[in-house]
Amino acid sequence: MEKAALDNADPTILSVSQLPSRRQKNGAARHGPASKYDHLISPRQSGPWDLSSSVSSWSSDEDEGDEDLAIEPLDEQEIYDLISPISDPEHPHTLGQLSVVNLPDIHITPSRGNTLNTVLVELTPTVNHCSLATVIGLAVRVRLEKALPPNFRIDVRMKEGSHAQDDQVNKQLGDKERVAAALENDQLTRVLNKMMETCA
Amino acid sequence: MAPPPSSVVEQLQLEPLPEFTPDLYTRAWSSVPHPTLPLIATSHATAVTVFSLTTFTKHSSVSGGHERSVRSATWKPALPAAAGQQLCLVTASFDGKAGLWRYKEEPSEHLATEITTSSDEDGEEWEFTVALEGHENEVKCASFSPSGNFLATCSRDKSVWIWEDVGASEGDDDWETTAILNEHDGDVKAVAWCPDTPGRNSNSRGRYSADVLASASYDNTVRIWREDVDGEWVCVAVLEGHEGTVWGLEWEDNDKKRGGEQRFPRLLTYSADATIRIWTLQEEQEEQQDEGMKGAVGTFVPNVMRRGLKEDWICTSVLPKIHTRDIYSASWSRQSGMVASTGSDGVVVVYGETEGDGWKVLATVEYAHGPYEINHVTWCKRFDKKESTEGEEEEEMLVTTGDDGIVRPWKIKRISGTT
Repeated sequence: MEKAALDNADPTILSVSQLPSRRQKNGAARHGPASKYDHLISPRQSGPWDLSSSVSSWSSDEDEGDEDLAIEPLDEQEIYDLISPISDPEHPHTLGQLSVVNLPDIHITPSRGNTLNTVLVELTPTVNHCSLATVIGLAVRVRLEKALPPNFRIDVRMKEGSHAQDDQVNKQLGDKERVAAALENDQLTRVLNKMMETCA
Repeated sequence: MAPPPSSVVEQLQLEPLPEFTPDLYTRAWSSVPHPTLPLIATSHATAVTVFSLTTFTKHSSVSGGHERSVRSATWKPALPAAAGQQLCLVTASFDGKAGLWRYKEEPSEHLATEITTSSDEDGEEWEFTVALEGHENEVKCASFSPSGNFLATCSRDKSVWIWEDVGASEGDDDWETTAILNEHDGDVKAVAWCPDTPGRNSNSRGRYSADVLASASYDNTVRIWREDVDGEWVCVAVLEGHEGTVWGLEWEDNDKKRGGEQRFPRLLTYSADATIRIWTLQEEQEEQQDEGMKGAVGTFVPNVMRRGLKEDWICTSVLPKIHTRDIYSASWSRQSGMVASTGSDGVVVVYGETEGDGWKVLATVEYAHGPYEINHVTWCKRFDKKESTEGEEEEEMLVTTGDDGIVRPWKIKRISGTT
């Protein structure tokens, strides 16, 4: 790829050792996220959060559902570990290395009573007119939708002031129908799969 | 037996009935009941599964015509009984086409009362008779006018197309584009024709034909379209108020006329802003009576201009805010006048109207599809009930359709008194 064709030909790149990791907290070495979340990838098949089989019982006891959902709570570092290895579509680096994904910009709102868990990820594109912001946002959303249990709602946005068309990109990334249609586009899924190769 | 007006009902309880089988195992987008027969069409992946509302099992499969997901399906209304109650569906697909399908099975004399599960296993029961092509990309919704003479389709390409049936007979599927409406600034998510009610027909005022179309968009607005005396489809109103994508809309079609008046049907809209709004046409005779007051109320469009071209639609209710995320679907019961809604938060809410355009919550069910998002809710008549339940249960049920691929009917029980 020619440098001149890039939106940002000279991004700041962090080395792997500079990226936030669990080691800073408790010293435990992290394995790849994929191995840890393998059992979550196909949420429909089984799992304690699948309440669809217990409809008859939950109508008599509404609290039961919440307890079933309350599996090991995820923290921001785990979300970061899921999405930071995604490759940038232009540069041979990951979103973590390019500081597109940053740990302080990941916010988890845990389930309270009857609300669902929400994960908000704010992205910082490498330059503020980055035309690939939507593709990067889509990759992050898809990665999290596949990896997290279905009681998580995922909101992916551009960090305020970081992108020239914040509202337009945010609205598109939040639109379930558009996301679904985009994922039926072969060309786009090829790009996304390429970006995810570094996640394995 | 008519249920009491919803203003009398204090509270309702929703109880899940056995879900439709087989399970679809993939995101299902919507389930649309047939206007008269005990059938409901669920769109999922590139197909539609038709379920029987008598047995809650699969009736037939509509597949093999679309390359990408089918977003929604709609039944052709007003088919002549002479044609043997044939079934006709239109599908709206992400592949950019709308498809017209006809059921091939021999019409059964018992079709109106008992639908038996088709023996055909390979999804060949339905014939894909016409592909309506023209949209540039995903078609999201299709809707027939009450007579079945017009079909409206809408797309991410920001346009609404109106197709006219020019076939020589019912079985002759020949459709022509009669209008392309390009005024929305974003994806058009849904279209709906106003039902053929006395209130609608007393209001055409000679300037427009009786049919009225409404469209909901990603541009946060709703538009109302009518056909003028020159046969041109024109936008007569832009409904602004929602602060997010308007996911869809439904017209009031209540058999019980409110207070004996023949009012123009109201319009219900629901949005990514987590609100549901009801819009009312300010009818002309009222305008004339109130003329002296209009200036004081502060309407921003001069009467003269509105008279000539536009209709004045105002938001008369915002339903109680329960949902916390996008509302993907809401349905206005034709029988009881109650409204049900659902969406990304997985909550199903039922509302009843009180005096003076007020609304209150009658029932709330959380985790209605476990942790999954719910894409659609609809009222439909109960055909599964054999014995009378002495008025405790509504004659209608709700059907919800979710990301879990489950289509779930809910019976509705009235709880008398307050708790």
